[in-house]
Amino acid sequence: MSATDLQLPPLQIEKLPSGLTLLAVQKRGLPLFHVRLSLPAGACEDPRGKTGLAQFVVDLLRRGTRRRPAQDVDDLIESMGAHLYADVSMEEAALALTVPAELSERALDALLEVALEPAFEDAEVSAARRRTIAGLQSDLDEPNSVAGRAVVTLGYGSAHPYAHPAQGFRRDVETFRREDALGFHATRYQQQGALLAVVGQRSPAELLDLMKARLGQWEGSWPGRSQRVALQFAGLPPGEGMRAIVIHKPDATQAQVRIVSPGLPRSTPRYAESVVTNTILGGGFTSLLVDAIRVDRGLSYSVSTRLHMNRRAGLSIFSSFTKNETLRELVDVALEKMRAYAQSGPSEDALEKARRYLAGLFPLGLESHEALAEQIADALLDGLGLEHIQTYRSRVSAVTAPQARTMAAELSPAREGALMIVVGEAEAARRALGGLCPVDVRQLEEFA
Amino acid sequence: MPLSEKDFPVEEHSLENGLQIRLLRDTSLPVCTVYSFFRVGSRNERPGITGISHLFEHMMFNGSRKYGPKEFDRRLEAAGGSSNAYTSQDITAYYEDFASEALPLVLDLEADRMASLTIDDASLAREREVVKEERRFRTDNDIDGMLAEALGALTYLAHPYRWPVIGWMTDIEAITRQDCEGYFRTYYAPNNCTLVLVGDFEPAAALREIDRLYGPIGAGGKLPGVATGEPPQKGERRAVIRYPSQAPALIAAFRTAAGRDPDLLVLDLIEAALSSGEGARLKRALVYEQELCVDAHVYFGWRMDDAPFEISLKLNPGVDPARAENALWAELSRVSSEQMPARELERAKNLIRSQLLRALSTSNGRAHTIGQMEVLLGSWRAMLDLPDRYASITAADVLRVAQKTFAPHRRNLVTLVPGEVDA
Repeated sequence: MSATDLQLPPLQIEKLPSGLTLLAVQKRGLPLFHVRLSLPAGACEDPRGKTGLAQFVVDLLRRGTRRRPAQDVDDLIESMGAHLYADVSMEEAALALTVPAELSERALDALLEVALEPAFEDAEVSAARRRTIAGLQSDLDEPNSVAGRAVVTLGYGSAHPYAHPAQGFRRDVETFRREDALGFHATRYQQQGALLAVVGQRSPAELLDLMKARLGQWEGSWPGRSQRVALQFAGLPPGEGMRAIVIHKPDATQAQVRIVSPGLPRSTPRYAESVVTNTILGGGFTSLLVDAIRVDRGLSYSVSTRLHMNRRAGLSIFSSFTKNETLRELVDVALEKMRAYAQSGPSEDALEKARRYLAGLFPLGLESHEALAEQIADALLDGLGLEHIQTYRSRVSAVTAPQARTMAAELSPAREGALMIVVGEAEAARRALGGLCPVDVRQLEEFA
Repeated sequence: MPLSEKDFPVEEHSLENGLQIRLLRDTSLPVCTVYSFFRVGSRNERPGITGISHLFEHMMFNGSRKYGPKEFDRRLEAAGGSSNAYTSQDITAYYEDFASEALPLVLDLEADRMASLTIDDASLAREREVVKEERRFRTDNDIDGMLAEALGALTYLAHPYRWPVIGWMTDIEAITRQDCEGYFRTYYAPNNCTLVLVGDFEPAAALREIDRLYGPIGAGGKLPGVATGEPPQKGERRAVIRYPSQAPALIAAFRTAAGRDPDLLVLDLIEAALSSGEGARLKRALVYEQELCVDAHVYFGWRMDDAPFEISLKLNPGVDPARAENALWAELSRVSSEQMPARELERAKNLIRSQLLRALSTSNGRAHTIGQMEVLLGSWRAMLDLPDRYASITAADVLRVAQKTFAPHRRNLVTLVPGEVDA
């Protein structure tokens, strides 16, 4: 392991016998206090036929607790000048608040009340269901959002725990009842595997004491210990040839394009190589693809490749968009550049540029209270430890040309079996992709 | 509680050529941010070249005398930095976030393009296509974008705020190299720029370097005037857009006041009370209680001239737009006729205070706030007493400003109706 190259602010970590991890980080400067609770209740935990339940539950938490109705919950939080962040990733549900430092006790209590004592009243559950369904339909107006939903749904292959958007599908959301929310909350909002983080001006020891004192008041509110069935994460299926799915958006004058292949989990020991290799291909503003597609040809405003890295699996994704008339040109250039990169890897110059770019900018991702809590919490929950952050800069700086060459071939979004997703006007897209690969046209509503 | 100058020891300098410099040292992380604020945006344009400010922002990355095409970002990234820029109605701002040892390079890159930007036909042709794609993405194929564009043209009759920052498609196609060269000479002179540095650097050394690099650049001439005239609005204005969407939508605007008018702070509070947080009035009434909308949002930002107070409602599929419109007017009528309860006013003030503090929690945020205050309010010091100025606003102020702003004859409304336009 490389030596520490980034000094984190003073912090303490303590794991309680209940399985809850406490993280206290001291950040001097602005008089702010941030609290974040991560729970093992992410979208991958959605039961079969209940996609979107994790998100639905986290959305419902603020719609009334056992102590007060929804309006009073809003008042409780927003009178402190705070916005409640409540969202799910594939792995976790996370709730967070940032308040003026003098309100730290109140913020901790408010967050724990919302997380641990939701009422899930029938009327609120029904209203939330109607809102979610309306939101899902409304999202179909955003080609970018439809493309994102299609990428996870199709990219991971059927039956994989990651193979659905966190917001779920309309057909599943329509079945949600109070019992679903209660059951999910009781079994997933557990101390085992959860992490409570605070970032504030006081010393880490004082912050830990503060957390323990407030947690003591909420001890009886946690759901009882529950045994969960382990999720099955099958390997991603190898594909043959390339195929395209076109999602028909009437009247679109521009097509959204994604090209997707299996990627790597966040826990990969080759994390640094994968990040460096991806940056050269489509990560920074001077990447090979930005150069070829935007700068040299003016084909698109936005071009990127990114690694969708979850705890146990990931995807490698090319994203761009262009007017219908240049769809084929954009796809041809993208495929050619990605295949060439997969064969030859990066030049020494490009590798050196990416290493310095990533190492130089990394501290900026730890600047705010929110980013600090999230980055450290995620590193701990993913089992990567503080070293993941503390040695990041030396690890990316140490990536070699042979490592990058190997990774370029393994991680190319355009390798054998890649899936292309196009959201746009179907006839124009079908014509553009003619002769390239089999094209299957789907309707927008299938992705609601 | 005001923010203290002790916590924000900003140094103020200027060069003989008029370049304004603001420096704020902060050694907590080994990083810096540099912002270059140019006082130019779509308000400085005229019909026929709308969108040139934004197109020009793109052109600024295409090479200068010392650093040729593609070199700006390549050098910057290789030194551990990244850059971006934005164009608004009033401002074009460029920034770099980077590892602090790259400061000399960043200043050299910025000064070189201010001194000697290359504008050639080939790069203009390519960048024009990129901007047209951006317009297709943000406006032509995006409901919020297409409604906002129609709303601008409805709210302003004479002022340049009537056209979109990205410009009309036909104007983007028509802008010439000569237009760009003229624009550069006029608006990218040092006397039209404020340079802000925040982060881990030595101020005296940075200032010497700035003087060495920017000092030789000649000052520009007097800036052309802006056609800011706008007749008083004498009645409600409405427009309809038909587009194959899943659901209807509404967007409304009320013309307010210019950047230094103290009523803008009151409008910030009204914005927070109406739409910041789930307990805000519009969200509570229209999203949760009446279930008319997926989302209800207010957009209000200070501008150099009369800013619009915009309200956007994304309706639930199947909801009659007239019903949602009436519900919106009812909420605005309530804020204009009933004194806001003390608790609600306090909530709005607390939300704004937190927003202000959060904006100052990163180098980039601090640099941006300092520059924005300079350009819009005349001095970065304006940020120091903002918390006190918000705190002193009363319920009577809110009522007075709401009555003035939301009068029915000042309404501008665009409705999106799902469907096709007959060919």
